[in-house]
Amino acid sequence: MDKLNHSEVINLLIQLCVMLSLGRLLAELARKFKQPAVVGEILAGIILGPTILGNFTPEIFEMLFPSTGASAVVLDGFIQVSVVLLLFIAGLEVDLHIVWQQGKQALYVSLVSLVIPFVAGFIVTWFFPELFDYADEDKRLVFAMFIGTVMSITALPVVARVLMDLEVFKTRMGMLIIASAMIIDLVGWIIFTIILNMMGTNSESLSLSKTIWISIGFTVLMLTIGKGLINKALPWINKRLAWPGGLLSLSLAFCFLGAAFTEYIGIHSIFGAFIIGVALGDSKHLSERAKEIIHQFINNIFAPLFFISIGLGINFIAAFNLQIILVLLVLAFIFKVLGATLGARMGGLPKYESYAVGFGMNTHGTLEVILGAIALQAGLITDEVLVAILVMVVVTIVASAPLMKYCLKFVSSKN
Amino acid sequence: MFNKIAIAIAFSPRLQTLLAEAKRVQALFKSELIIIHVGSHTDKEDAFMMENLQQADITEDVKVIWEAGDPAKRILAVCKKERIDLLVAGALKKEDFINYYLGSIARKILRKADCSVLMLTEPSLESNPSKRMVIYAENSPYSIQAIKAGTYIGKTQHSQQLHIVREIKLYGLAMSVSSEKTEEELTEIRRNLVNEEILIVENILKKMDISGLKVNIKVISGKSGFELANFCNRTRADLLVVGSPNRKMGIFDRVFPHDLEYVFADLPCDLLIVNPKKKNG
Repeated sequence: MDKLNHSEVINLLIQLCVMLSLGRLLAELARKFKQPAVVGEILAGIILGPTILGNFTPEIFEMLFPSTGASAVVLDGFIQVSVVLLLFIAGLEVDLHIVWQQGKQALYVSLVSLVIPFVAGFIVTWFFPELFDYADEDKRLVFAMFIGTVMSITALPVVARVLMDLEVFKTRMGMLIIASAMIIDLVGWIIFTIILNMMGTNSESLSLSKTIWISIGFTVLMLTIGKGLINKALPWINKRLAWPGGLLSLSLAFCFLGAAFTEYIGIHSIFGAFIIGVALGDSKHLSERAKEIIHQFINNIFAPLFFISIGLGINFIAAFNLQIILVLLVLAFIFKVLGATLGARMGGLPKYESYAVGFGMNTHGTLEVILGAIALQAGLITDEVLVAILVMVVVTIVASAPLMKYCLKFVSSKN
Repeated sequence: MFNKIAIAIAFSPRLQTLLAEAKRVQALFKSELIIIHVGSHTDKEDAFMMENLQQADITEDVKVIWEAGDPAKRILAVCKKERIDLLVAGALKKEDFINYYLGSIARKILRKADCSVLMLTEPSLESNPSKRMVIYAENSPYSIQAIKAGTYIGKTQHSQQLHIVREIKLYGLAMSVSSEKTEEELTEIRRNLVNEEILIVENILKKMDISGLKVNIKVISGKSGFELANFCNRTRADLLVVGSPNRKMGIFDRVFPHDLEYVFADLPCDLLIVNPKKKNG
């Protein structure tokens, strides 16, 4: 078996040390400005990557983050695991009960706020690929679908934090946003799985209809029989094994198994991790405390590694394309807000509350970054598009709270 | 509170105990009583019914309605027609797999009734006042009415303990807050969340007469309904009072069970669903 040599071990450990410590430092800085940690972690990646460190001290950058060699491969392994785990905890947050409880209204908001930005993103990209400096004719359809998906997703964890900060988390509007974001998460990942399949990066790619059926079938199976098995296993685990160790290791083992299975059958590993997360998170035997431990572990160790790693591969200054950024921002702020607002109005919410829902739903975040990173890795998008997505993510995160607050001012003054 | 009460009975071994309970409920709410029986109606059955009513000492102010057809449907139709406020019926604590998905008579009533329902798991001949009650003050347009009904029963029956349960929804909390707050801030957020819930219940209780009642406001988190049922089991509650959900439950609710479905699936104790809407008639 190949092993890391002495210097490679040291190098890997230093990489992890630098990434985690600078990531934490800048996450704390973001916190001071009331922004989520992901903003600081992306910034840490920009500092450690070719944009700053590689630009000013290329020899240190090359020494610290060699692009080839065993430590680079091992770090990439860490990043792959991080993505799977991030999707797993994203799935844990999807609560089918709250989705069902919010009923038709959530369905309106999620569907309209998914369809309108998706269609708008698709049409703009399909008819005007030059806006994205996109020249690959063969992949235009998939690329247009990808941009549509990025536009239509809402970042559940970020929007949850915004709602809590605004103290509207438990209101009808807050719950509606949460439920709608959960539905979008579910549908969004199914769409993305299809896109990945259409890209045909996997040598054993399935046909489109097979992918769709397998994705839906796997989802339904995991949320019924799979969930039933989890409900049988968890009490046994909680009762007989050390807590939280037993739960933690077996949950992650199950997540990796699901991820490996979906990767094996030709749909991406992240999809399996996400659906396993949904099934596990929906179990009545997974306590809030256990969920929190899983979150803490993944959010503070694996998430920074992933978000920082994005900056390690891209020169943000060289890949900064104002035109693409503006296109994405316009698409997000017009069509995503419009779609969600319209959905909320259709669901019977008053005008200003609907606007608030619109701005709330236009919060992009970690999932879009993951989506972008995977698409870049698969060769679907360019560095410019990924940088534009990152900028769009940061802008929507920064803007959502004040814009929602502004709309809610009218709601409370009217009441 | 409940002016017109109906009890659904079958000629089963539990008939006498159910009639005894019906009589007590009628006295508790000082209401009219209607007895609904779905099945064949011959002279022999008429005589059997009269005999049982006499044995249960229910001879005055009672109307017996005989129906034929699907039991759950007929019982609910009578409730509608007679503008019943509270329907009393018996139910097994737990259903088998097939019954759970197909829906037994009792569960159909729980899921579809347009009036309040009192489901008794262990009806008894002897008076058995509720000693430990739980009121679920959540997720229903009628939760305030549920608290009202619960406190009324608690006072009338001199309950030893009345727990009012609220839930904290922690969706996204762990992910969105825990990694971005200090330990102190996180503790403060948790404390505030709990205090907010307690304050809501306290404000509701201010408008009610709860003198003489030992009230405990409990804030729980976890899976809606499942934790409520656990709490009832833990506190050995004998009556759970909940507000009716804002919609009728279907098969999907059983495939993806949630709040009241967890309670329906495995009734932890007697269950009173408060539903004051008067669509009936």
